Amino acid sequence: MARMKFLCDVERCIDCSGCVVACKEGHHVPVGVNRRRVITLKQGEPGEKSISVSCMHCSDAPCIAVCPVDAIYQREDGIVLVNKKTCIGCGYCFMACPFGAPQFPKGNVFGARGAMDKCTFCAGGPEEDFSDEEKKLYGQNRIAEGKVPLCAGMCATKALLAGDADVVADVYRKRVFQRGSGVNAWGWSKAYKKK
Amino acid sequence: MTNSLNDMRHAKSLIFIGSNATEAHPVSMQHILHAKETNNAPVIVVDPRFTKLAAKASDYVRIRPGTDAAFMMGLINAVITNGWQDKEFIRTRVAGYQELVDVAADYTPEAVEEITGIPAAEVTRIAELLANNRPTSLTWCMGGTQHHIGSSITRTFCILQLVLGNMGKSGGGTNIFRGHDNVQGATDMCILSHSLPAYYGLSDGAWKHWCRVWDVDYDWMVGRFPAKEWMNKKGFTLARWYEGVLGEVEIESPSPIKAMIQWGCGSNSNSQYNRVVKALNKLELLVIVDPFPTVASAVTKTDNVYILPCSSQYETSGSVTSTSRQIQWRYKVVDPIYDSKDDYQIMELLVKKLGFADEFYKKIKQVPEDITLELGSGSLTIGYNGQTPDRIKKHMENWHTFDIDTLQAQGGPCDGEYYGMPWPCWTTDHPGTPILYDVSKSVADGGLPFRNRFGLEKKYDSSGRTENQLAAEGVYNPGSEVKGGYPEFKDVVPGTNWKTDLSQETLKVAIAKGMAPFGNARARCVVWNFPDQVPIHREPLHTPRPDLISKYPTYEDKPNHYRVHTRYKSEQDPNLVKDYPYVITTGRMVEHMGGGAETRSNKYLAELQPEMYAEINPRLANDLGIRKTDMVIIESPEGAKIKVKVKITKRVDEKTIFLPYHFAGTLMGESYEKDYPKGHAPYVVGDPGNTVTNYGYDIITQIQATKDGLCKVTRA
Repeated sequence: MARMKFLCDVERCIDCSGCVVACKEGHHVPVGVNRRRVITLKQGEPGEKSISVSCMHCSDAPCIAVCPVDAIYQREDGIVLVNKKTCIGCGYCFMACPFGAPQFPKGNVFGARGAMDKCTFCAGGPEEDFSDEEKKLYGQNRIAEGKVPLCAGMCATKALLAGDADVVADVYRKRVFQRGSGVNAWGWSKAYKKK
Repeated sequence: MTNSLNDMRHAKSLIFIGSNATEAHPVSMQHILHAKETNNAPVIVVDPRFTKLAAKASDYVRIRPGTDAAFMMGLINAVITNGWQDKEFIRTRVAGYQELVDVAADYTPEAVEEITGIPAAEVTRIAELLANNRPTSLTWCMGGTQHHIGSSITRTFCILQLVLGNMGKSGGGTNIFRGHDNVQGATDMCILSHSLPAYYGLSDGAWKHWCRVWDVDYDWMVGRFPAKEWMNKKGFTLARWYEGVLGEVEIESPSPIKAMIQWGCGSNSNSQYNRVVKALNKLELLVIVDPFPTVASAVTKTDNVYILPCSSQYETSGSVTSTSRQIQWRYKVVDPIYDSKDDYQIMELLVKKLGFADEFYKKIKQVPEDITLELGSGSLTIGYNGQTPDRIKKHMENWHTFDIDTLQAQGGPCDGEYYGMPWPCWTTDHPGTPILYDVSKSVADGGLPFRNRFGLEKKYDSSGRTENQLAAEGVYNPGSEVKGGYPEFKDVVPGTNWKTDLSQETLKVAIAKGMAPFGNARARCVVWNFPDQVPIHREPLHTPRPDLISKYPTYEDKPNHYRVHTRYKSEQDPNLVKDYPYVITTGRMVEHMGGGAETRSNKYLAELQPEMYAEINPRLANDLGIRKTDMVIIESPEGAKIKVKVKITKRVDEKTIFLPYHFAGTLMGESYEKDYPKGHAPYVVGDPGNTVTNYGYDIITQIQATKDGLCKVTRA
């Protein structure tokens, strides 16, 4: 069975945050909760690169391993989801995640937080598909509709790829070949004084 | 834009100057990056700022603000002195080349280094890069135009492309990205003070043409003006309308401006914003038509301001024109919500109340289809007549049949047509013109020569040489009856020419002969009706290099420039830089749009960019004792001040301050939030960057010079 993955092509990402806004607008995510972010390195200098990051839907997800109440689970297609009705908001998953994906609604003065929220790969949650409850807790369920996640669908430069990992890898492999072959080969420009 | 966004996929090199497409036109980037990846095309970005576009460049060139013309003339000179010019293209399709060569000779790589700060070797290297990677697609935006010599700067861009032979070619061209939705359509309709729709100008002939189109009596139209002479005079411009209200400088007008309608206009995109605010408060009547209350509704302390809530683009339908000259149909998604009305309804109510609905709607019965039909039937200059609403809608319904690379439909109901029928689209069975001035295709298939616009022959002032302005023998579109240059078509229908023959017979006759209705001429390097016949560099009015003023001075002052006295020479004070040592330049951020009334009212965009800021280089910040999170005060030579957060970044160099211009709602710490209609203040407010943009206006177009002023910076 296909496993769902994101891949952000940093040669294509232009730091426009279109993915971030598409996600928030489409799922009515509250301000302050970021299911997806664009991170920029070396801003304003040669070598500046940006990458769009969200939950990576890890094959062996550390958040699942540390969750004390088994609120986080993985679907057969690899999408990692949280059951907000089970989550106790302890924050262990946030400590375990290498990408800072788990988000929490703003806490009160005693540090208590609400249930964890994160990227659903636009696949809703454990509630019944297209139910009001699912929409309220998790947002749209585009996967059940047969559509790609909003962020990737919105990406202006097709930097952000989402879908079956094999297909995503194939698209990316083709791009790498194109950039790295023929006259793109390292040293070519210098050898032929092309540039 | 001579080519299209999609056609940039065919470029072998791309040069961007005064354009930050990554932030201002993110959708274009898929095509730009395609050319970079697939063709190994060098992407050259010339900008005072290391922008997000520079981050995607193969070659970044940092230039001193306002010196674009010098750099371009330097590239032209380097191309010519090294013999890289397209000699055959120049011989057959370019006019005034020798006169250009004479002027360009002054711009040696060393002279260019002195003016622009770009190393001499780099000038030659970039020229060679362009010469070796043809065709080049050249893009500029407001960074190229918003200078007192903006009209000269843009001409240097075009001339470079002529000298390299990149015009009329797939992957080449001058591709100016339009900055707003449908701004190409707005330009084509000449929402400007110096021309009737479709660039007809303001002559009696132009008025009579449009009166015929509208089917209204010419004399009735004359009667609408205080005197006939005002029909032919240019009006005030967006850049300086407020001078017509304030009356503080000499104006040429039958009356001061007393009332104003701002229809989809963020007033904080005007430079000299303090003066704008003063004028807004002096108006007897101000009407704001917008989906969101703009800042003009908050900064006015008078009670003669009316806000008409207008629906968004999703609540109305009609034709719009894209940056690629494609006409598209926009369908309504929902009816206008709450109390809002769409533009058509507001216009209709206004026109009825003003009492000329009979004339206004004479040929418009079905809105909006009849509007598209009417404007098309009159806009023959640019071939807007072939794109009927039915054809436009057919294209929308058959998106999937158009090829992403060529934009041509392959089979299906639109077979052979180009998407959106890019203008000129001469007849209702013409496919549209995807690339302007392309002589490789027949005119009937979307080919085009250069237009014969400026006579048949010209004797140049500088050289005394006389030159035929028509294209040389052997340059013609396939199937043309005349195998060389020819003048524009006239008197096919007696008493008319191709652009005034409303029967459109002239257009059909020309196309049947395989010829362009507007003739086949040369593109000119010498513009004899401009003050600089061949473009040259002139120092910015407020320059950080007063030592260059004597060699590159500005113009004499210009009275009655779009009705307003405009200072040039008397404004160029060499001592200014002593007190205002830093260059100030402005630009866009991807999250916000224009004056920001809409985007700052969107909570998600507000969250991403919640604060106005000034970009300052770390070295300058340290020298001035400014640390991150500090507030700074920026002061213009006009004495205007703003107080904004500092953003310390190497995007700018040590002499340049960058401001985004989307903010408004506060001034020097004072908030206008309470003055917005209750509950309608935007989420994000800040000092308008344009408060401190300097005095300065283009000599031809009067566009405001917001990219090369001076300022003073202190820690708040």
